[in-house]
Amino acid sequence: MSKLRTFSFLAPAILAASLAAAPAYADKLDDVLNSGTLRCAVVLDFPPMGYTDANNEPAGMDVDICKDLAERMGVEAEIVGVTWAERIPSLISGRSDVAIASSSDSLERAKTVGFSIPYMVFQFQALLPADSTVTSWDELKDLNVGVAIGTTYESELQAYKDANWTDSSGEITTFQSENDTYLAVSQGRVAAGIATDTAIANIVAADTYQNIKAGPVAPFGADIVGFMTVRNEYGWLNFLNLYINRAYRDGTLQDLYGKHIGGTMPDLTTAGVYY
Amino acid sequence: MDYQFQWRPVIQALPQLLEASLVTLQVSVLSMGLGLLMGLVLYFIRKSPILPLRAFATTWIEVARNTPSLFQIFIFYWGLGEFGIFLSPYVSVVAALSFNCAGYMAETYRGGFAAVPKGQNMAARTLGMTAWQSLRYVELPQVLRAIYHPMTNQFTWIILASSLGMLAGLRELSGETQYFNSRTFRTFEFFMAAAVIYYVITKIALLVLKAIGWNLFKAERAAK
Repeated sequence: MSKLRTFSFLAPAILAASLAAAPAYADKLDDVLNSGTLRCAVVLDFPPMGYTDANNEPAGMDVDICKDLAERMGVEAEIVGVTWAERIPSLISGRSDVAIASSSDSLERAKTVGFSIPYMVFQFQALLPADSTVTSWDELKDLNVGVAIGTTYESELQAYKDANWTDSSGEITTFQSENDTYLAVSQGRVAAGIATDTAIANIVAADTYQNIKAGPVAPFGADIVGFMTVRNEYGWLNFLNLYINRAYRDGTLQDLYGKHIGGTMPDLTTAGVYY
Repeated sequence: MDYQFQWRPVIQALPQLLEASLVTLQVSVLSMGLGLLMGLVLYFIRKSPILPLRAFATTWIEVARNTPSLFQIFIFYWGLGEFGIFLSPYVSVVAALSFNCAGYMAETYRGGFAAVPKGQNMAARTLGMTAWQSLRYVELPQVLRAIYHPMTNQFTWIILASSLGMLAGLRELSGETQYFNSRTFRTFEFFMAAAVIYYVITKIALLVLKAIGWNLFKAERAAK
């Protein structure tokens, strides 16, 4: 005891020393600014948001947003092409700094990653074979409907079916990618596929498949998407939020929307509630 | 790596993952069984004096052994779909894996039969056995012993290759893992769990096959 008291006068000194010795915490924002490169994870098989153009270069709205963000930060943009499933591993393993990859902001996912404020809003829509007679959403009730696995629209469709189509004799077939869903619709393997309105507009306009057409829009609401980064990067998330806010205010997002999708950019706010 | 592991989502999904493991096991056992049968048929057809039959078997074996299994699964699922033939994911995957397994097993049988001295068949026939009896009672038992270990390897391979089934939309262990991964974004946890389950399934399967082999080949061991 006496020994402890002898040394107790040292305690404040030790505390001060340890505080001084603690390294300054460099967050993701510092890392990006210091490295001079902003690495964005983008899904490149989701046109018109992300794809590779005729020269095999990354293109699309998500890609252009990354470039705009990098320009405003005064750094170089680097596009890291990922699949849907690779978005999170890419962030966590430090291969990318932010995922600008049309990611729906579900609470389930927010348990793992940090979401920015919304930067884009989609609708869900049915894709039909050209000879389909379906005109309204509820006509899909007893049909075989295809959807890409693990997407928000897959869980929304399942939930809608459980709630509204209790006596349904139809089934839901899951596919590994958007392209598989389109192929299945064009082959007639499924009577309809579900995807986002932008993707469907794009695939119907492209001449990859001749025998498909856009169908009714799903009644289960908008798909609101944000940037994603590592959950505890608050400083970085704040910066990203401010970027989205400013890019919307000064018309950059509207310009990119007009360029890649056409028409008026959807409202990013949710009426009656703060984000 | 700045990452906190969360195992609770995996534990909550464990019943579904285990259920999907049963699909994996089912698909593997079914494909192995069919592959063993078709492989034997292929082996005999390949020795047939009729050229078209021989060509058929040779083509099958060559394609099965020299193209990726992923490609084979795609052909059964999407390729046939182009012609309006819609096999379910389950059927496509079993068909593709048995197609592949038959190709490999045909070659394994060839090695097995080559290991049985020609004199055995002659001796059996001299003793008044028919060709079928000679095959059934003299040659096949010895072939089985020769191919038993390569066969267990093949089975391990099928269990692991069945994971490609998720690309045809089959909800076996990998497909189910991918599903929960995209819902929860707990990528590392779910894939680690899947790897452990695969390891356990494969180990158990090998132990069971070893036990079966131990019983089957009692006589041989006693003779030594």
